[in-house]
Amino acid sequence: MRYRLDLTLRHAEGALARVLGATERRGFRPLSVDGEAQPDGDRWHLCMTVEGERGEQVLEGQLAKLYDCLAVQVSPC
Amino acid sequence: MDAPAQPMESGATTRARNGACWLVDALVAEGVDTLFGYPGGAIMPFYDALHGAPLRHVLVRHEQGAAFAANGYARASGRVGVCVATSGPGASNLVTGIADAMLDSVPMVVITGQVATGLMGTDAFQELDVFGMTMPMVKHGFIARRVDELPRLVGEAFRIARSGRPGPVLIDLPKDVQLACAAHLPAHAPSPVDAVPRPADASLHEALALISQARRPVVYGGGGIVLGDAVRDFRTFVDATQMPAVLTLKALGALPSEHPLNLGMLGMHGSRAANTAVQECDVLVVVGARFDDRATGKLAEFAPFARVVHMDLDAGEIGKLRHADAGVRGDLRRTLAALTLPCAAQLHARHGEARRQWRALCQQRARAHAARYDAPGDAVHAPSLLRRLSTLAPSAIVACDVGQHQMWVAQHWRFDDPRRHLTSGALGAMGFGLPAAIGAQMQDPRAQVICVSGDGSFLMNVQELATLRRYGLPVKIVLLDNRALGMVRQWQELFFDRRYSEIDLSDNPDFVAVARAFGIEARRVERAGDVGAALEVLLAARGPALLHVAIDTGANVWPLVPPNHNNAQMLDADDVASLPLATTGSEPTPTEDSHALPA
Ligand SMILES: Cc1ncc(C[n+]2csc(CCOP(=O)(O)OP(=O)(O)O)c2C)c(N)n1
Ligand SMILES: [Mg+2]
Repeated sequence: MRYRLDLTLRHAEGALARVLGATERRGFRPLSVDGEAQPDGDRWHLCMTVEGERGEQVLEGQLAKLYDCLAVQVSPC
Repeated sequence: MDAPAQPMESGATTRARNGACWLVDALVAEGVDTLFGYPGGAIMPFYDALHGAPLRHVLVRHEQGAAFAANGYARASGRVGVCVATSGPGASNLVTGIADAMLDSVPMVVITGQVATGLMGTDAFQELDVFGMTMPMVKHGFIARRVDELPRLVGEAFRIARSGRPGPVLIDLPKDVQLACAAHLPAHAPSPVDAVPRPADASLHEALALISQARRPVVYGGGGIVLGDAVRDFRTFVDATQMPAVLTLKALGALPSEHPLNLGMLGMHGSRAANTAVQECDVLVVVGARFDDRATGKLAEFAPFARVVHMDLDAGEIGKLRHADAGVRGDLRRTLAALTLPCAAQLHARHGEARRQWRALCQQRARAHAARYDAPGDAVHAPSLLRRLSTLAPSAIVACDVGQHQMWVAQHWRFDDPRRHLTSGALGAMGFGLPAAIGAQMQDPRAQVICVSGDGSFLMNVQELATLRRYGLPVKIVLLDNRALGMVRQWQELFFDRRYSEIDLSDNPDFVAVARAFGIEARRVERAGDVGAALEVLLAARGPALLHVAIDTGANVWPLVPPNHNNAQMLDADDVASLPLATTGSEPTPTEDSHALPA
């Protein structure tokens, strides 16, 4: 299954690495990553597509727990 | 406590109030009384600030000892454990203890020195990216790049460690930040922990509706009960609803071991009564547990007839491994309190006779399969020794190592308070026991603390005997010596066709002499008939003491769910002949992998 991830992150050291690491470790392979810091500089908006066999709630639940992850939405695509 | 506003003085020299001094004051303001650590170059300003500070620093003999001691301190007290190390090797030596805290949800703050910010990223001496290394094993990590960030980072670190599902938080602290002037920083004010979410009414109704239909209900209680401070509510819930209960390794003691509805531990080395009940139940009420593979056996065949009610604070656990027919996310105390009376009322009104018979069946099985302590012969029988010790020391805190002895403690110790059982559950880290016992003793000098270790595990952190001695901690060590890596040996015997590979420890040192070399009283016991007297002498010792217990190398932990089997397929010693040897363990398929390895 392919999923689209829409994430709002704190623009903090390690935030991107944590999200990518957690996504891969939970069994989802990133296919595309697109994102940029918002103009005020303290947020990142990140959009990813990933594929994996596990359910989307598993990924959403784990990413939502990251301190730097302020919002996450995972939807099939 | 308020942070002292003035720079601290030591002897004739007055130090400027730098980042390190500010941090020490902040730790005091956070209520920290003890930290465990080991100094080195990149953390020297912090150690300088510690000198003369109103904080007790415990100098361990290896940083892994510091991390496990802080971990044991936190597990036994429920407070945040703090450990400190220098950059590079100091930081990397902490890693196993941090991982253990993450996997078992233990609140910790870990402070590591780092090379100066200007040197970071240049492969400087003792520069190691501990922030990157620990990413998958901390609840969060920070690098303090500027002294002005310290107030926010320290407040957040303690808040995150304590809030919700607890866990370890790293603060990596470059040397120049420690040395930078902090005179302008305000005194530290701790942040309150996050409010725990209330369970939604709709989810409580769903749970009630499911539970009230049950004819064969079972409660499956996990470590979340302890973390959520919900032991009393859990007991009330079980008593009021009269549902039989099974417990995970980390929840042992959430119900007293003699409680009539306590069927014991479930899982790989669980009780037959517990596993059978779960496999036959029609509603499984999961309270703060996470379907760990050691608890479930073959997941696809776990509790095959059950509809699942899953209550947990961590939404990420609900539905992670097993679909929840009703999921209740939120504070377990409120959840249990809200469900207790309605569930009890519904259960009294419906299917009362079916459930009474079910309860009687579960209890009758628990009696029929109760452990026996009448082993013949003169060799020391470890389960009997542990049972006896738990009766002699009913309020002791027990810190275990990892292996067969750990499972014997879980099976045979009479727990009635989960905070008195310190065990490396999810990580299963050998070497945990002795430093965790040190941490537990430090958080309550009057507590009776017993460390149960194995001959393999003990040597992983044997250097901490020097810490016991230095601080005069009256920890009692029971070293169950089977001259083997027993748990691995058992698996090789049962699942690898008795090809014993690298498990022999028959050249162990003389443990009595080792302990005495550290200045610790020690004795040996080799015969069952001498155990009672030996335990009494051990417990009567005023300071630290070690009892070296020689046990049979071939002793196994029973019962056992073999890898890739479901929990109804438990084996006892008598069933060994029926094992499909050498096919189960030696040729794991990828999906079988997690079941094909011992602890
Ligand atoms: C740090 C670490 N290394 C390896 C293992 C794998 N392991 C699990 S139990 C065990 C044997 C433990 O031996 P011992 O402490 O003597 O306990 P016994 O099983 O003999 O009671 C080993 C090697 C582990 N759990 N932890
Ligand atoms: Mg051993």
